[in-house]
Amino acid sequence: MHSALFWLTPAASLLALGFAAFFYTRMKRASEGTARMAEIAAHVRVGAMAYLKQQYKVVAIFFVALTLIFAWLAYGLGLQNSWVPFAFISGGFFSCLAGFFGMKTATYASARVAHAASVSLDAGLQLAFRSGAVLGLVVVGLALLDISAWFLILNHFVVDPSPGHKLTIITTTMLTFGMGASLQALFARVGGGIFTKAADVGADLVGKVEAGIPEDDPRNPATIADNVGDNVGDVAGMGADLYESYVGSILATAALGAAAFSQASADDAYKAVIAPMVVAAIGTAFSIIGIFAVRTKSGATQRDLLNALGKGINLSSLLIFVASYFALHALGLPNATGIWGAIVSGLITGIVIGKATEYFTSQEYSPTKGIANSASTGPATVIISGLGTGMLSTVVPVVSIVIGTTLAYGFAAGSWKFDGPSMAMGLYGIGIAAVGMLSTLGITLATDAYGPIADNAGGNAQMAGLPPEVRTRTDALDSLGNTTAATGKGFAIGSAALTALALLASYVEELKIAMIHAGQTTMTIANEVVPVASASLTQFMNFFEVNLMNPKVMLGMFIGSMMSFVFCGLTINAVGRAAGAMVDEVRRQFKAKPGILAGTDLPDYARCVEISTAGAQREMVVPSLLAVFVPIISGLIFGVPGVFGLLAGGLSTGFVLAVFMANSGGAWDNAKKYIEEGHLGGKGSSAHKAAVIGDTVGDPFKDTAGPSLNILIKLMSMVSIVTAGVNIAWTLF
Amino acid sequence: MKTYLYLTLLPEALVASHLPPEEYGAYLAIGTQKRARGQALFFKLSDAYAAQRLAELGVSPTLDRPAAGPLRHSAYLSVYRVLESIPITALESLHLITEDGRNLTLKPGTYEIDAAPRLHLYQEFCPVTPRVVSTLDPKAFAAHITDLNQRVALPALVFAELKLERLAENADAPDVDNLPYPNMPHLRDCLREFYAKPGKSTKTVIRFLQQDVLYRTLRKGFYVAVAGGGFAYFPMPSKQELETTHYTWWRSALSTFGG
Repeated sequence: MHSALFWLTPAASLLALGFAAFFYTRMKRASEGTARMAEIAAHVRVGAMAYLKQQYKVVAIFFVALTLIFAWLAYGLGLQNSWVPFAFISGGFFSCLAGFFGMKTATYASARVAHAASVSLDAGLQLAFRSGAVLGLVVVGLALLDISAWFLILNHFVVDPSPGHKLTIITTTMLTFGMGASLQALFARVGGGIFTKAADVGADLVGKVEAGIPEDDPRNPATIADNVGDNVGDVAGMGADLYESYVGSILATAALGAAAFSQASADDAYKAVIAPMVVAAIGTAFSIIGIFAVRTKSGATQRDLLNALGKGINLSSLLIFVASYFALHALGLPNATGIWGAIVSGLITGIVIGKATEYFTSQEYSPTKGIANSASTGPATVIISGLGTGMLSTVVPVVSIVIGTTLAYGFAAGSWKFDGPSMAMGLYGIGIAAVGMLSTLGITLATDAYGPIADNAGGNAQMAGLPPEVRTRTDALDSLGNTTAATGKGFAIGSAALTALALLASYVEELKIAMIHAGQTTMTIANEVVPVASASLTQFMNFFEVNLMNPKVMLGMFIGSMMSFVFCGLTINAVGRAAGAMVDEVRRQFKAKPGILAGTDLPDYARCVEISTAGAQREMVVPSLLAVFVPIISGLIFGVPGVFGLLAGGLSTGFVLAVFMANSGGAWDNAKKYIEEGHLGGKGSSAHKAAVIGDTVGDPFKDTAGPSLNILIKLMSMVSIVTAGVNIAWTLF
Repeated sequence: MKTYLYLTLLPEALVASHLPPEEYGAYLAIGTQKRARGQALFFKLSDAYAAQRLAELGVSPTLDRPAAGPLRHSAYLSVYRVLESIPITALESLHLITEDGRNLTLKPGTYEIDAAPRLHLYQEFCPVTPRVVSTLDPKAFAAHITDLNQRVALPALVFAELKLERLAENADAPDVDNLPYPNMPHLRDCLREFYAKPGKSTKTVIRFLQQDVLYRTLRKGFYVAVAGGGFAYFPMPSKQELETTHYTWWRSALSTFGG
């Protein structure tokens, strides 16, 4: 029975890819509208693909270099599993593929959504949402395909007399393909984030503020780059981020499952390994059902639209809630009800974080209204209150993760003891809670990708001069996208934190395999000789002296915490520099061609796309190198305790900082929108001017630095996992 | 090559140009190589009056442009007491130009006293630029300000009424969130004075225009008052008309920062 249940994973993968193809074909069949609409969409599409091509070139260079290093470590020095170089490449390749398909769909969809909105609001919503669903389904489909393929390949090739140990080798090897996904995600998020905000800030500063040109006006040379940026940041970047979380959580949980049941029967260990895959497969099927439930009536209000999306997500969550209970029991997993409780904890944690994000960033609630009110006393108070609100907004997500993790641990372990075998089960529970949170990814990512599609549709309608009733509809769809973008970011951060926690626990498993690989079969702890293969987590911690009294742990924590800030500083400054270059270019074009503003000359849109692309590629290199090499260097200097400290410091600081950055940026954005809705003087007032400054400051917070931190915390764990063998072999102290 | 004659309001000047109104407005707002930026307001004067005035001033109807020479964007003919020198009938159309050069043309219309609110807010544009609150409706205010028997009076004035919304009836009305005026407490104080001093008819709120006027705050339209009873009204299109027929201008107008 349980072997049969494994086949749900490749089946769900094919189902997801099949529906993605179905939605893509339906979208392509829809009309692009007028020639002008098609022309504008083509500009965005060409720009987005040019960016992606350039980014993939840089990524390819990194991948080739790292693959050679991994090959040398595996085949030359024998410090790593020989599958690592291939797993690494496959993770990166599938992540690239998901971003490519997602962005291709999004850039084909914008004009079509604008045209569909001329028929009805529901037609526009459905086309935009189902186009967004292509990204969601491609991400989960390719992830499940890659996971099932590797599971089957390794199951066939790995030879080990002990079935339990074989599973541990398979799962820890599979985990390394997460690093490929992670590294690709870093480039997509950092590069995409820098691109989108350089274009957005540049377009706003020189277009709106200096020249008084409205948003999405075709006379602004940076307006196409701005639209391209929405796609590369929020489609390709978000897709790669969540692809990585998704595979990371499933693979880490599988590895933890193999470890937790290593002393039990091989059958139970197998069930524990495939359980996260089965839950993800069920989630994929119910996400598709949820996608079909999203529809609205003509003349719907903003709340109706939000409810329409909420209906789809809630339906999927509810179905997973029920079905996962029966699936785990059908699987015959020991303590199935407790593990189901862990899944539910993860699902609920995700929902609570989403709601908390909405509360702190939506203009419907007092925190954002408070920031807007402070605009009446100038930009300085807007900045101060935005920073304060962002810091306060960290409470609920952090407490939710704490409670969710504790409950997941307790349910899965069946006790609240933090020692012995219950600890391994508890950590497995934390991993599967992350899987539970991400099980609805097919539909939640559709909601995220819907935002930039609706935004671009609004821009297309504006630039093409569509009738007012159409623009009103695309504005409503765009406004809905702004709300979902903020909650999507909260979800991405929350899932990254839970995934990174699971990865941290998996690191121990990688150490175990690395020690065995290095020929070390026993370890001596307090004069007691313990076999490595059967050592508990606590014994490993004791062996490596991972405790707070060890200065190496504390030093690692300092470095990990610092990394989050350095990373933010680098990415924020990168946006400043790239936006500056954009401002110079737009000014140059206005001066060189006075007819642009008069509407008699066409701006050079491509040049602005090139500037943003070049800026993003140049600026993403240093942060990416830091994220890859700091964990390796820390391990070489401070050994395993230093790496644990680094990961713990990076995770705790990075998670809180990411929530702060995303929420303060989102709150500034919506404080501005609140004023534009006709409060505190409305558009053009001095309060509006102050709020625009706050929004500009918040742009790199919420769309560049904050989301990039998600990747940083996961990538540092992944690098440590992949280079665990190096940590075992070489260390200075 | 046709020569147009314009009366610009900010600053007050009589200008001849080869550019038709839309292009002249764009030129004023966004310039050419100078990369100038800014809102602009001007009247196009009738062709008959233009011909007559150019002749009076001894200016060539071609502005001395050589046959193959470039167009003259602007030739300043007068910059002092211009408005009062122009007959009200010569004001053919009023052009409201946004910061990025979009034009809205207003034609003279028939003024009708509406169910007047208790208080009015007027922005004067030419020849002086204070912002004033008054109990007088536009026509009465026009007569009042151009009554040369008064101690403070003007021979002619261009002004517009700005929205006060609920403040027009109640100086302490709380729900006036969409009014973008700077220093609202001071505006409320000025409005309250009319309750304290029932005989008072006008009160200055701001002594001179410091920022762009937001077109979205205009109530009904622009008025021209001339001593001796001259009066012209240039009505604004309705909001619905702005959102449909003049959408490009309206969207641009909403993107301006001012006060």
